[in-house]
Amino acid sequence: MESRFKIVGQDVPRTDAEVKARGKALYTDDMKLPGMLHGQILRSPLAHARIKHIDTRRALGLPGVKAVITGQDTPKIKYGNWRLFPDTQDEYPLAVDKVRFIGDEVAAVAAIDRDTAEEAMELIEVEYEELPAVFDVDLSIKPGAPVIHDYCPTNISVNRKIKYGDVEKGFAESDYVREDIFNTHSVSHAYLEPCSALAQVDLDGRITLWTSTQVPYIVQCLLASTLNMRENDIRVIKPFVGGGFGGKMELRAWEFCAAFLARQTGCPVKFTLTREEEFITGRRRHPMKIYSKVGFRKDGTLVAKDLKIQLDGGAYNAMGPTATFLCGNFGAMLYRYPNYRFHGEHIYTNKPPASAMRGFGAPQSLYATEIQMNMAAEELGIDPIDLRLKNAQVSGDEIPDVATISSSGFIDCIKAVAEMSDWKEKRKSLPAGRGIGIGCYSFISGGVFNWFNTQYPFSAAEVRVFSDGTAHLLTMASDIGQGSDTVLKQILAEELGLKMGDIRMTSADTSMTPQADLGSWGSRVTLMAGNAVIDAAKKIKEPLFGAVSARFNLNVIHDIECVNGRVQSKSRPDYGLTFGEAVAMVQKANRGEPLVARGSYTPRGKGLVTPAFGFGAQVAEVDVDKETGLVEVKHMWTAHDCGTVINPRSVEGQLAGSIQMGLGYALSEQFVMDGGKTLNTNFVDYKMPTASDMPPSELFHVETYEPEGPMGAKEAGEGLASPTAPAISDAVYHATGYRCMDLPITPEKILRNLKKNK
Amino acid sequence: MRLPKFEYFEPETLEEALRLLAEWRERVCVLAGGTDVLVKMRNGRLKPGAVIALERISSLNGIGFDLRKGLTIGAGAKLSDVTSHPDILRYYPAIARAARVMANVQVRNMGTIGGNLCNAAPSAENAPPLMALGAVVTAASLEEERRITLDDFFRGPGLTAMKPEEIMTSIFVPTPPANSGASYQRISARCGVDIAAVSVGAMIMIEDTVCREVRIALGAVAPVPMRALSAEAFLKEKVWSEEFLREAARISADESRPISDVRASLEFRKQMVAVMTQRALEEAYGRAIKR
Amino acid sequence: MKHHINFKVNGDDYSLAVDPWRTLNEVIREDLNLTGTKLGCGTGDCGACTVLLDGRSVSSCLTLAVSVNGKSVMTVEGLAPSGEELHPIQEALIQTGGIQCGFCTAGMEMSALNLLNQTLSPSETEIKSALSGNLCRCTGYNQIVEAISMAADKMRDNAAEKEEQ
Repeated sequence: MESRFKIVGQDVPRTDAEVKARGKALYTDDMKLPGMLHGQILRSPLAHARIKHIDTRRALGLPGVKAVITGQDTPKIKYGNWRLFPDTQDEYPLAVDKVRFIGDEVAAVAAIDRDTAEEAMELIEVEYEELPAVFDVDLSIKPGAPVIHDYCPTNISVNRKIKYGDVEKGFAESDYVREDIFNTHSVSHAYLEPCSALAQVDLDGRITLWTSTQVPYIVQCLLASTLNMRENDIRVIKPFVGGGFGGKMELRAWEFCAAFLARQTGCPVKFTLTREEEFITGRRRHPMKIYSKVGFRKDGTLVAKDLKIQLDGGAYNAMGPTATFLCGNFGAMLYRYPNYRFHGEHIYTNKPPASAMRGFGAPQSLYATEIQMNMAAEELGIDPIDLRLKNAQVSGDEIPDVATISSSGFIDCIKAVAEMSDWKEKRKSLPAGRGIGIGCYSFISGGVFNWFNTQYPFSAAEVRVFSDGTAHLLTMASDIGQGSDTVLKQILAEELGLKMGDIRMTSADTSMTPQADLGSWGSRVTLMAGNAVIDAAKKIKEPLFGAVSARFNLNVIHDIECVNGRVQSKSRPDYGLTFGEAVAMVQKANRGEPLVARGSYTPRGKGLVTPAFGFGAQVAEVDVDKETGLVEVKHMWTAHDCGTVINPRSVEGQLAGSIQMGLGYALSEQFVMDGGKTLNTNFVDYKMPTASDMPPSELFHVETYEPEGPMGAKEAGEGLASPTAPAISDAVYHATGYRCMDLPITPEKILRNLKKNK
Repeated sequence: MRLPKFEYFEPETLEEALRLLAEWRERVCVLAGGTDVLVKMRNGRLKPGAVIALERISSLNGIGFDLRKGLTIGAGAKLSDVTSHPDILRYYPAIARAARVMANVQVRNMGTIGGNLCNAAPSAENAPPLMALGAVVTAASLEEERRITLDDFFRGPGLTAMKPEEIMTSIFVPTPPANSGASYQRISARCGVDIAAVSVGAMIMIEDTVCREVRIALGAVAPVPMRALSAEAFLKEKVWSEEFLREAARISADESRPISDVRASLEFRKQMVAVMTQRALEEAYGRAIKR
Repeated sequence: MKHHINFKVNGDDYSLAVDPWRTLNEVIREDLNLTGTKLGCGTGDCGACTVLLDGRSVSSCLTLAVSVNGKSVMTVEGLAPSGEELHPIQEALIQTGGIQCGFCTAGMEMSALNLLNQTLSPSETEIKSALSGNLCRCTGYNQIVEAISMAADKMRDNAAEKEEQ
């Protein structure tokens, strides 16, 4: 298909690649300011305890220590991302009265250097009264279990129910019903850049915070509320960020402490976490206990699904409420379920809080969906590919109360992977120890439900154009490594007919970039910020078109376009001006007023979940060593539908990256816990895949056009966090007969099962 | 965490180093590469008053081979030099392999073979093949130089037979006998950046299909790298067969004493001792009959 | 007691007094302001801090600064000194999309250089194994491996051209 785009869809190198290749990109910890102090956080060694007394005098007496604070010194205002429901805001920046997990932040120090700050930590004396702790969801919801938050005596902080159709009737009408329990485990985002925040205060008491975050606007708002300041007195700047994957999407204690201590000492203060801190206390993916019951007709048609999920949220809500909502939505995606019921419970335990992580509830929920599909296929005597084709969601399908799927290339994806992988043949003829398996996904392109209760648009963009033929794009969308700055520039360049080099960009500085943007998560940026950019560009083009029309006395029927650095008539390209000349004309007509436009995007009439859905299917081939139980993934095939591909290299990179994460999730990554204590706190024992572990893989883009997306685009790369684990799991089953119902798939589990089957 | 504060010495001769050691005794930490020691210091598990770096003592860094006598590796030889040394690759492939599969390129460019042994981790990658090949280390103090067989070297996690005033100077490995072969096998969850959950070094000498000599050493399955003596005794003087091989592997698993930890469970480790022993013996056998 | 050390970084001579417990990573980042070299774990497991020391790749987080006295260090900033043409490894990484968040990039480049200093015709397996001490969470490594292979080709061609001249 001949592309109708000049820059979108082309192999455009990322505009931040060179500065990163040269080592010149500044991340938060790379920055230092005159007189800067170094901060350090004291964390709880106990999983659940009352703080009886904290003595900071010895630490304060250490030469070089400038300040020591505890929860008692702060305004003691709770925060949380779910501002719409203040009850869910359950966290203090520094613990007040109680600690609830090993690693909970208790006190903070600012000192002239890091060595001194670390030394001071050892001099803070905390007297705790240890409380009984609970680490398991089943025990946590039992009557008489330790209560983790006083406001929530049941330890169930969120209950979410979804229901449509009549599930009981559906099961009664089914020819085949099965019920299974799945358990998924916790893994780490393991972004390479440890969290870091640097705060500076000006003479008026206003604060500037540079921080490694995915959500500068959310940090600005919550920092303001916890410090009891006005939002606009806080400026948050996101420098280059070394990955997030959902782990950097809340206000965090060190951001608060940097700001608070900067205000108290008058000096800039920087906090940078160690990798050990990241592993001991870092956010993580929710472990889920999933009860799933599905009913089919004999011919494989899905009739009903009843899903109950318990999320192990750890000690605080964090982004758990959203995960609780979304895992229920994901349970109803991918296939057509005429009757559906979901009950999700977010449960507190005395473990490090789980939160958002790439996939946001989908990797867990879809693991159950996909494995159960394969189990059903086997018992129904239908090929797993055919069972999926029969039930796949297609364009125009409606998910009751949620949304209408405006574009779906799912069926083409399934067919494509089946063909690429030679599925039918391999499923029949692979030797023992070899196996092939499938996993699929559907994912959101940004969320609709406004839990943050923002008063601003979901995404906004400002475009300024100049008579030298250049443009300046300002947006609060946050590039955290995924490449959104490049993609947004591509969209603007395409709209205005400019080259990439003609566009300058300022992003994610709350004092300059337009209010607002909810940040980088939930695969929202391309669609939402992309639409905001297009909206702004259209507003810029209007006066430019007017000027060209007037200058060449064009009739109203003439179509005008911005192309190749010109603003010109479509049918008579010689009737036109260079982009810069056109801008100059408009400015002249407006007494020199600069040509600036604002654009925004907030989904309307798109239900409560998402404006658009991405789809895909993946097949894995594995080789299992029957003596050691080690699984080697030999090959991956992926076909996906992300609508229009805006930057092919970036989409390929997202795919390969999600395979790495999915591979780890399936086979090697897990937090090893002893009660509330994380035992594997380094990259030797937290086993994320290396270059040598990566299988060869092939990718196929299924071309669709998403009407709600910018130039037809929708999410890419986050949905792909889901299919890898079920595909590998199914392949392991095909190879060995071991069906993994509790992730991860370890050699020990495989061997145990092989023994049992002997 | 940052490193604790310490004094630093960088002697250029062994004698100078030994004198410093005698002076500081237990309060000093010897640095031979530093990839283990610095991590321990960062975690707060080690707080020495002083550090003596051995890197500048060039007499510790050489690797020499004499076909009649054997191989002498300076304790300060970098792991990357061990893996790429032509004589080691040719005559001691099991040693080259153990050094090549451990950790990552950067650590192998920094870490030394002596450092790896003196760190005395139960999982020390280089220990099993060296033990299987009958390695003997030399330790020097101001008073004397003594030889310790690697079998007697390890005393517990982080503990060795060396005295506080001693420094390991070299590791000697005899020339492998004719008709012998050796192998190193390990299991870990990942290809790179990893520590073996179980490792096995084996050496056998075959004469007319009879197993005349056999040495099997196990890593990460006991407080110290250990010999599988019962399995060795079982195989010795037996005619090589699949059945005996499997039985030897089973015995080796029986005599291993692993624990459950972050990396693997006790049961899995036992099972893997058998598998790795069998694979090591098979490869060693293949090499023995080829030579 | 501070130790006086003289060493080269990217060809420039430095003379400093350092505390013996400071790592090379701390000194090049904090004292020399060469922040291209990152700190990802501090225990030698992630590779983000990789630099070349006398031509060999090492973890700067596990190297004492005092121990580099008289030695020569190369960091990412030395690959293509400011403004100059990019190094083939950098060029290839940009072209293939092997750079996402960029935090592992400097370490990857130094590990790649360590490999290409030894061979200009590495196999894919050799490239993967040479990079296996450098963790990346964004790219899944594929485009990085592709880039190193491209860079090797280019460097081989450059070397052949030079020989012809």
